[in-house]
Order: sequence, then structure tokens, then C-alpha cells
Amino acid sequence: MNVPPLVLDLRVVRPERRPVRLWLPLFLLWPLALVVGVLVLVLTLVADALLLVLGRRYHHYTILLVRSCATLGETRGMVIRFSNEKTAVDMTVQ
Amino acid sequence: MSADRSRILDLLAGGKITAEEAERLLDALDAHAGAAAEPSGSAIQGDPEPLIAALPKYLYVKVLAANGDNVDVKIPIVLVRSGLKLTSLIPPLAMDKINDTMAEHGMSVDFNNFKPEDIDELIGALRDMEVNVDAKNGDTVRVYCA
Repeated sequence: MNVPPLVLDLRVVRPERRPVRLWLPLFLLWPLALVVGVLVLVLTLVADALLLVLGRRYHHYTILLVRSCATLGETRGMVIRFSNEKTAVDMTVQ
Repeated sequence: MSADRSRILDLLAGGKITAEEAERLLDALDAHAGAAAEPSGSAIQGDPEPLIAALPKYLYVKVLAANGDNVDVKIPIVLVRSGLKLTSLIPPLAMDKINDTMAEHGMSVDFNNFKPEDIDELIGALRDMEVNVDAKNGDTVRVYCA
């Protein structure tokens, strides 16, 4: 897994208005996300154990959670740009 | 086993490259070995990293509309791969709903049939893919990897 995205750089440019640049420090959210993630991980482990005991075919919520986090980590480097006559929006995940 | 071959297999085992990329690198290694006069030894002098670095890393989608709306998206290929692999873990009920909704919109893709080896093959094919659409009204769409 790569290093998760640390910064979201958002730029909005509109004619005759001051350009807006937001530098969102995602790395400040990671400690909070870690706490929430651990709690959800415990829940998914319990759910998977119960589903396994009950003989259900699908009992992969824990792996789903871990893979979802990994996918989130891969968003680093993504760039989305949109522009028209009135607005230009530029979003970069770094 | 040569050191280069071993390194490529390590990269494959570590998930840094796909099976198809590893195959390409091994083919390149064999080609170099065949071309070289020496019957044994290192085919790629030093590091296979430059070969790996030459592989496309991003999927680009560029839309230029005649009315002035432009969209430019750059997606890491690792994200595409990771997202596709995630589909195999979606609960069956949710997946059925996704498949039904996609079928309603004219995309009858059954993600239940996706296997990890299919995903690697798909990503490999995606790297060579290029889509260019030039509409009559002046809209252009380009999808490619670089």
C-alpha cells in the first residue's frame, strides 16, 4: 500500500473574482480516521465471525474494509480539472 | 536464476507490477539475453527500474466540448486496479443491485465474474488502449494511458 493522500489542493478561478486556493491538510484527518477505523475493524471482525459461524457464504467485511482503505491510499496523484467560460476548477490529491 | 529475474519476481510478489508487466519484463530480459553474446549473466545491466518506470502510470480522460466545457482527469492506474479488485469483495446483495442498475443504463457487466487474473489482464490491456472520439458537433474525447 502506498502512502495515503496527505494534501488536497483545490483551486477555483472565476473571471473578475479573486482566485480561491484551498490547501486541505488531509493528514490531519488520518489520526481521527485511524480511531474510527479501529472501531469499525472490531465490528467487522465480530460480524465476519458471526457470519462464519452461521455458515453464510459471504463473510468478507473485514477484508472489504482493509481493501477500501488501501484503495483510498491509491488516490494519491489523481488530478481532476474542469473548466468552462465562467469557472475553472482544479483538484489535485497529493 | 539471475539477479534481474529474481528482482522482477520480487516486484511481482510485492504487488508493484502485474503478472503481465512481469511477463513483459521477463521477455525483455530474455530478448536481451538472446541478443547478447554471453550465454549467461545479467541481461539488463544493473537495474530493471528504468523498464518499470517506462510503463504507463496514469489513465487520462480528456473531454473538450464545443460549448467550452473541458474536463481533464488523471487517474493513477494503481487506483483503477485497486478499485477493480475491490469489486470482488462487495457483498452479493449490493453487487446484484449494482449489476441491475448498470444493466438498466445499458452496461451489462457482471462484476461477479471478475477474477484477479482477469483484472491484471484488463489493466495490461488498458495500458495499450487509446480512445479518440471526434464528434460532429466538435466535441472530442481522448482516453489513454501514459
